[in-house]
Amino acid sequence: MSKSFKAFGLAIGALALTQMPALAQTKVTDQGISAGEIVLGSHQDLSGPIKSWGVPVANGMKMAADELNAAGGIQGRKIKLIVEDSGYDPKRAVLASQKLIEKDKVFAMVGPMGSPTVLAAQDILFDAGVLQLFPLTAAEFTYKFDAAKPQERLKFNNLLPYVESTRAAVKYLIESKNLKKPCIMHQDDEYGKNVLDGFTQQVAAMKIPAASVTSYKRGVSDFSAQVAKMKSDGCDIVVLGTVVRETIGAMVEAKKLGWDVIFLGATPTNVLEVPALGKEAVEGLYAASGFEIPYEDTAKGKVKDWLANYKKAYGTDANTQAIIGYNVIMTFAHYANKAGKDFNGKKMLDALESGDVFQDIFSSPPTKFSNSNHLATTITQVQQVKSGRWVLMKDSLSF
Amino acid sequence: MKFLFKTDYEDDIRLFPHSGYLWTYGTLLILIAAAPHFLSSYLVSQLVFVSIYAIVGVALLILTGFTGQASLGHAAFLAIGAYTTAYLQQFGVPFPVYFLTAGLLTGIIGAIVGFPALRLHGIYLVIATISFALIVEEILARWESVTHGNEGLRVKTIQMLGTTVPRDSPGFYYLCMGVLIFVILGAINLLRSPTGRAFVAIRDSETAAKSMGINVSLYKVKSFAISAAITGLAGCLFAHKLSFISPEMFTLQLSIEFIMVILIGGAFSLHGAVLGAIFIVMVDPFLTFLKDDIPGAIANLSLLLGAGAERAAAIEKSSAAFASANGLKGAIYGFLIMAFILFEPLGLYGRWLKIKLFFQLFPLYKRATFKRQKIYVKSERNR
Repeated sequence: MSKSFKAFGLAIGALALTQMPALAQTKVTDQGISAGEIVLGSHQDLSGPIKSWGVPVANGMKMAADELNAAGGIQGRKIKLIVEDSGYDPKRAVLASQKLIEKDKVFAMVGPMGSPTVLAAQDILFDAGVLQLFPLTAAEFTYKFDAAKPQERLKFNNLLPYVESTRAAVKYLIESKNLKKPCIMHQDDEYGKNVLDGFTQQVAAMKIPAASVTSYKRGVSDFSAQVAKMKSDGCDIVVLGTVVRETIGAMVEAKKLGWDVIFLGATPTNVLEVPALGKEAVEGLYAASGFEIPYEDTAKGKVKDWLANYKKAYGTDANTQAIIGYNVIMTFAHYANKAGKDFNGKKMLDALESGDVFQDIFSSPPTKFSNSNHLATTITQVQQVKSGRWVLMKDSLSF
Repeated sequence: MKFLFKTDYEDDIRLFPHSGYLWTYGTLLILIAAAPHFLSSYLVSQLVFVSIYAIVGVALLILTGFTGQASLGHAAFLAIGAYTTAYLQQFGVPFPVYFLTAGLLTGIIGAIVGFPALRLHGIYLVIATISFALIVEEILARWESVTHGNEGLRVKTIQMLGTTVPRDSPGFYYLCMGVLIFVILGAINLLRSPTGRAFVAIRDSETAAKSMGINVSLYKVKSFAISAAITGLAGCLFAHKLSFISPEMFTLQLSIEFIMVILIGGAFSLHGAVLGAIFIVMVDPFLTFLKDDIPGAIANLSLLLGAGAERAAAIEKSSAAFASANGLKGAIYGFLIMAFILFEPLGLYGRWLKIKLFFQLFPLYKRATFKRQKIYVKSERNR
């Protein structure tokens, strides 16, 4: 009796042991992987309000896939990249994600664009066990995950988050220039809010009161009121939670008022368009950034070839956005290679979480994930516009 | 051709004028019920969006199509319904309660918006509703304690009767279709009631309606309230379907899409709302499918026509490049809409009626049947 009871107990125990890891296991799909191909999907804004990001990102991604395929693919598997247009509309992003999963049978979603679009479609990917890799939004929900929810382990981000990068850059400038009256002008949306949060957290940590906080609605082109207010508040540094046009607009306005003040832009201002369009008005602008922007005439080696290839393929100069897109695929390829010849979903997830370091050709800070951290890096640089070019001032910053 | 002889008022207001209706709508109902069992969840998802857009379409038809009051502010009503949902859900309010509250609250706000509408007509009313929508968008971005501002709000899955209804489940699809059918039946009922007839009278001539003893202001406010309330219900479903809402989703663009639903579908019949919603939601994914499949089909065709394999591959490549050109879809979409407004002002449903009549009367169909016999003089002075 007692013997059979023991056996029963053992059997139950064994059953429990086999079941337990299954409960906490993340389901990763193996669809889209065949002997000769890995299918990847992405939704970009190719026709909507942020197509100036979506189009070059998609180009960069395509270029990376073509390059990898020409070199024989990932362990013999070619990359098939399918890009859908979301028009920055969450409804279309949801439908595009479902189409990519069900019709095209993608293995992973790589570099999807925009905060509301990525967030609205995120659960659909996780339910299907599809990895969400390196989306083009630095919002927290793309890398912070709850260990109790196994499917949330499927998200990884390699973009520098706005909050952390703003904090690091603000800290560096305030300390190195001994500034007393920090101010901020930010866009009235989720992105601007992130920059504001970074700024507020950092000045609070340094026990310096913010001298002035102003905002503007997306799409406006007149910043005279905001700039005049910040001038009268006596700011000695203005943090800009702006994109391209607003950065130039604010600095032109300051020049008009004869106000000589330090401007520091968040990472989206660190693009070629700012000095190209702003000309002398943006001279001296500092910006937080993740990596150095290469220029055709000063670039060397691989980067020089890359710039030339991009121009040849798409007829325009490569920009930051294209580099980010290119890196999305290259980062994927690095970890997929590491996952090995008998590639599958589980192996890919393990490879991503293995702590292996990926280094791109643009000397960005190294990418590295672990099973508790799905954000590649928070290491920030500060660059400055000098005679119409972005120049590195200080790297390896954190707060 | 079937002739209906009406001998009684009951004949005139009957839901199904003859048995043919029972057959066609019965079949449609069976198809709707069976859809999630044989369609992929991608298509079911599209049908869910169709039903949500159709609910808003019905709401807009009541206001614009039947009462003659234009609105470009329905995205704001949708937003109010969606935010009510997300806000109440945080406190553990059960689904049926916040669903109805979303409708009720939006209806009350709709009535308030209706008041200024009493003094405004046509383009001025459109401007007023646009400004209302902008105000709502601004409030959503600013009132951070309730709306979380630009960070947006997560919307959790529906909890009902001890089970969860995920947004991709057949259960959610049935819920949306059920609400749509309920709203359509309600609208049909409304339109054959004194209230509905008052709406139509106001649309056709306010002066005439007034002289018949209709309280024009009361009915206009009523129309606004009903339309807003229905949109609020749709907003609740919309929030659940997207699982995340933020102010930048409820823009003027969305209001324009809603207006297009009824313009394309046909602004004179409830069928128009459904047909328009199908068009607006499904054309885009349809064009995506074409983009994927057409280049291969063209290549196969050219092979059949005797082109060499190399030539066919080149043709496939160039047609794929053309099909995936950025903005091509937008252009096709815009062109279709322009064509509708120019050549088929009665919308998809109007076209269907014409085709049906053509076959019923064949070969005696006359194009003039659908010409307006009487042109009303519409001016600001004599409305």
